[in-house]
Amino acid sequence: MNLRESLRISWRSIRAHKLRSALTTLGVIIGIAAVITFMVLGGGFSEDIVGDIEAEQEPSMTVQTQTTPEDGFGVMLVETPIYTESDVDALEQREGVEYVAPQGSLDVVQTTADDEQLTGAVDAQATTADRFEHATFVDGEPFDGADEAVVNEQAGQAFEANLSAGDELELTFEDGETTTVTVAGVVESELGDQTPPQVFVPADEHYTTTVETPDGDEERAYPTLQIGAEGLDDVDPVQETAVDYLEDESHAAELKEDDDEIAVQTVEDAIEQFDDLVGQLTVFIGAVAGIALVVGSIGIANIMIVSVTERTREIGIMKAVGATKRDIMQLFLVESVVLGVIGAVVGVAAGLGFGYLGVWLLGWPMVYPLEWVAVAVAVGIGVGVVSGLYPAWRGARVDPIEALRHE
Amino acid sequence: MVAYDTGPGAAAVTAESVRRTYHLAEPIHAVDGVSLSLGEGSFTAVMGPSGSGKSTLMNLVGCLDTPDEGRIEVDGRSVGELSDTERARLRGTEIGFVFQTFNLMPRLTAVENVRLPMVFHDGVDADRQERAQTLLERVGLGDRLEHEPSELSGGQRQRVALARALANEPTLVLADEPTGNLDTETEAEIMELLVELNEAGATILLVTHERAVAEYADHVVHLLDGKIEDLEHLSDARDVTAREQATEGAGNRRPTGEGEA
Repeated sequence: MNLRESLRISWRSIRAHKLRSALTTLGVIIGIAAVITFMVLGGGFSEDIVGDIEAEQEPSMTVQTQTTPEDGFGVMLVETPIYTESDVDALEQREGVEYVAPQGSLDVVQTTADDEQLTGAVDAQATTADRFEHATFVDGEPFDGADEAVVNEQAGQAFEANLSAGDELELTFEDGETTTVTVAGVVESELGDQTPPQVFVPADEHYTTTVETPDGDEERAYPTLQIGAEGLDDVDPVQETAVDYLEDESHAAELKEDDDEIAVQTVEDAIEQFDDLVGQLTVFIGAVAGIALVVGSIGIANIMIVSVTERTREIGIMKAVGATKRDIMQLFLVESVVLGVIGAVVGVAAGLGFGYLGVWLLGWPMVYPLEWVAVAVAVGIGVGVVSGLYPAWRGARVDPIEALRHE
Repeated sequence: MVAYDTGPGAAAVTAESVRRTYHLAEPIHAVDGVSLSLGEGSFTAVMGPSGSGKSTLMNLVGCLDTPDEGRIEVDGRSVGELSDTERARLRGTEIGFVFQTFNLMPRLTAVENVRLPMVFHDGVDADRQERAQTLLERVGLGDRLEHEPSELSGGQRQRVALARALANEPTLVLADEPTGNLDTETEAEIMELLVELNEAGATILLVTHERAVAEYADHVVHLLDGKIEDLEHLSDARDVTAREQATEGAGNRRPTGEGEA
């Protein structure tokens, strides 16, 4: 029996019970729609954050300490100051390294400009002017003196006055002391819109955190370093050199906690890590949504068993006119696969629709998770086959003599 | 041993000492040592009271069931020795069923019902649609091709069933009480049609409990308690009165009803 004829006969019986078929496929539709919706939302979220990060590659990388949280997955940044001045100096001597800019937070609680006070909103970082070697300035230039500062665009816009070079900024520290700096420049954030408002001041004059080095000296230490390579071609070797040094010879290697890991990442590495994380989360939520699919396929199996019982007589007729067991199996399998595929196709459409609505409401870009659409259709066929196998087998086993007597 | 022979020439179906036993509280021989040969182009009726083994015999001849003892041959092949699939194929190609309750597929149109045996028999790939239409025209339903069974009268449904039975040019048409659910007028129409098909060459085995229906056939096998009690040769005896009366108008009925088609 060829497939077209099976399709024709199966389609007749699906159409004969429109409501039943619709309700049966609903389970699969909901399952697949949920999976696709989450994939669209996850993709949109990722795209929203990563998408506007400067595409142009910079020959720089960030050194940070990461740890894996005890509960859950992903990575957490550790803010312990373990990269000492000696580490900075040592790294700067390495081949291909243009500069090493340390960076550490200051406990600034309030920022004031033009009598406008912002509490807790602006993050203050101490660093060196080298950090801005590859940065793009919207206005002004890097700081060049104790009482100068660089703000990022977000910080500039945080104030109503919209800071520009030359403006005065007053920083209030946790202990109540204040210092006044002049904005030397406004810098673009390489990590796009998601970057928090930040103000950068020279580390030499403002950063005071020290640790005791393994050698017994007291040295300033930072939680973050930025390493600039001499050119794009030097990025990979420098990254390797930096990792080797930091892991084996540096103070940081001795100062860090055992579970912590020193990560040397370019912007691209960071994006990749973030994408991985969102991907894992999305798949996890998708798997939960996949439970609906299992329920859906049980629904199809259930209705197919009913259908086989209901059509016992028809099976008898078909067997009498020459249908083999295989023909009967094929008929019922085709029917359940058709239900599964309808569920998958409608589910994908609904999922894309809901996803579109979701990203539109959240202001994220629309992402079409094509590989997941393919997976969904494959799953639809699979669900049809799996849930149709047992009912089809039962149908094929029907004794034609009994079946023809069946009312 | 061929105890009963219905017609000259090659046999379409032969049964040799066939026994079919149902193991209930005590073994019941529904068919008990039946030997019978149906000649090609013959028209035979099987008569007998309820429980005489008519249905069991029909299931055996129709390859729906296999004998416990003895041998049944359809188109030269021994039914008992075939696999499930082979028997299904044999049913599809060599047997055409006509049932009392019509047994049409409810959601398929008349023409699709007639196509069904061809669909399951991949061998006949010549234009199925055209052949189904021709068959329906032959049973007088050329104008009802796209009707579903629910839109047809009882007589029309049985005509569709007849056309379906002929779809794969079977060796044997098995009609089980084909007029049991029809009024007398329609009964006559269907029986005339069977006679016509027989005259055109079809071998027919008709199961009935009505004498008037059985008399359309050339031979009548009387079953009792699973055994053949008697074989009547109506046409050989030139005892055509009953048939001529009932089928008035079927004037082209050949006088002897012997097997040459």
